[in-house]
Amino acid sequence: MDDIIASSTGGHGQPGDGTADQLRWFDITDTDRRRAEALAETAGDVADEIIEAFYAHLLSFEDARRHFRTDAQIERVKRAQQTYFRELLSAPLDAGYVENRRRIGRIHERAGVTPTLYVGAYAYYLHSLGHLVMDRRGQDPQAVPLLLSLIKIAHFDMAQALETYVEAREATIEQREREMSELPTPVLQLRDGLLLIPVVGTLDSYRARSLTVKLLEGIRDHRAKAVVLDITGVAAVDSAVANHLIQTMTAARLMGATSVLTGLSADVAQALVKIGVTGETLRTAGDLQHGIEIAERLLDG
Amino acid sequence: MTSIELPAEHIQRIERDGDVVAARQTGRRIAAEMGFGRPEQALIATAISELARNIVSYAERGSITFRAEDHAGRRGLRIVAEDRGPGIPDLAQAMSDGFSTGNSLGLGLPGTQRIMDEFDIRSIPGEGVTVTVAKWISR
Ligand SMILES: Nc1ncnc2c1ncn2[C@@H]1O[C@H](COP(=O)(O)OP(=O)(O)OP(=O)(O)O)[C@@H](O)[C@H]1O
Ligand SMILES: [Mg+2]
Repeated sequence: MDDIIASSTGGHGQPGDGTADQLRWFDITDTDRRRAEALAETAGDVADEIIEAFYAHLLSFEDARRHFRTDAQIERVKRAQQTYFRELLSAPLDAGYVENRRRIGRIHERAGVTPTLYVGAYAYYLHSLGHLVMDRRGQDPQAVPLLLSLIKIAHFDMAQALETYVEAREATIEQREREMSELPTPVLQLRDGLLLIPVVGTLDSYRARSLTVKLLEGIRDHRAKAVVLDITGVAAVDSAVANHLIQTMTAARLMGATSVLTGLSADVAQALVKIGVTGETLRTAGDLQHGIEIAERLLDG
Repeated sequence: MTSIELPAEHIQRIERDGDVVAARQTGRRIAAEMGFGRPEQALIATAISELARNIVSYAERGSITFRAEDHAGRRGLRIVAEDRGPGIPDLAQAMSDGFSTGNSLGLGLPGTQRIMDEFDIRSIPGEGVTVTVAKWISR
């Protein structure tokens, strides 16, 4: 199990990379698929009964009711659900199936169907079907293996939907990060010849390039001689970030402006020096007030 | 010495810049809870940043594992950075100050070795890199 945990964080070869791998992970064989198919007839017979009972159950919850505005809509969703469960029993479990399941998952996610609602509905269906199958075929020694196979497939199926929830969440986070990194960098003129640039967020090479451009434009437009770069809001300063800052400040110097770096905690500055980051760059670290004072002295001196 | 119950192991997956920040914060928090002083917390956070950023920059994705350890009554934090990216063909070269294929300072790996108490790097080209570092609480 350790191995599986390690590899699932490594990100490669984890269950989930391909449909075949996934089926192996859920231990779903052709036998399971055949057994689930053998349930199709019984399931078809009782499908209406289950769906009706399920909606009665569902609509007794205020939160769930909010998803439905009209009876016609409820009918549509009921039919879609019939198809969904029919496919669960008999559709080939291939890449197309997975894609289709994920597409449905995305629709659910966008519609605000929570994982609890989704898994709950699934559990309701399996539970009801299980009971009805046992009522009808309780004497049949095959009944239990059939249901167990169905449960395996259902879990595989649920995994598809839950993956889409995670993906959607990640896409949102990425989107937000992108927006953050595209935040306009404000260039504030504190007095004649003195600029303040607060840098917020992460400083990857893309962002560093746009910071450099902004800084150079600011220097040109304001004929600045001194710039205070405040990195209090930069989340992780390490050698790569230091490299970007050094390059930005070197470019400023070539334009005739001296930069003062502020907002680096003394502990982190020390750590960077021990890492081997040298240059005057990091020696100017201090708080913003102090940085502005240094910059003013540069101007007046 | 107070003994704090820490989860034996904590794994953070590393895929993007935000994960570098998250790993750094997690490492700093664990270090603080274990009783590391503030300068040491900063060293640990910086080391994590270096290793995590290398993963994002050169291997796309990987993971960082934190493990609180006890050795002969001494507490320490062990950090394993792992990826299955392209690997490093020449470790000695990668460990030398100023060597960078990323047009950066080339200080991340050698610097991390300087600021941690233990440092081990392994790589099989084509199969990824594993860097294991540890810091012990100074008495
Ligand atoms: N996880 C990794 N996978 C593949 N190559 C790596 C990895 N980590 C480091 N390297 C290689 O080793 C080189 C040296 O790494 P190091 O962290 O010391 O410097 P850098 O990342 O280039 O610059 P800096 O860390 O100073 O911003 C990198 O340029 C890269 O070629
Ligand atoms: Mg590096």
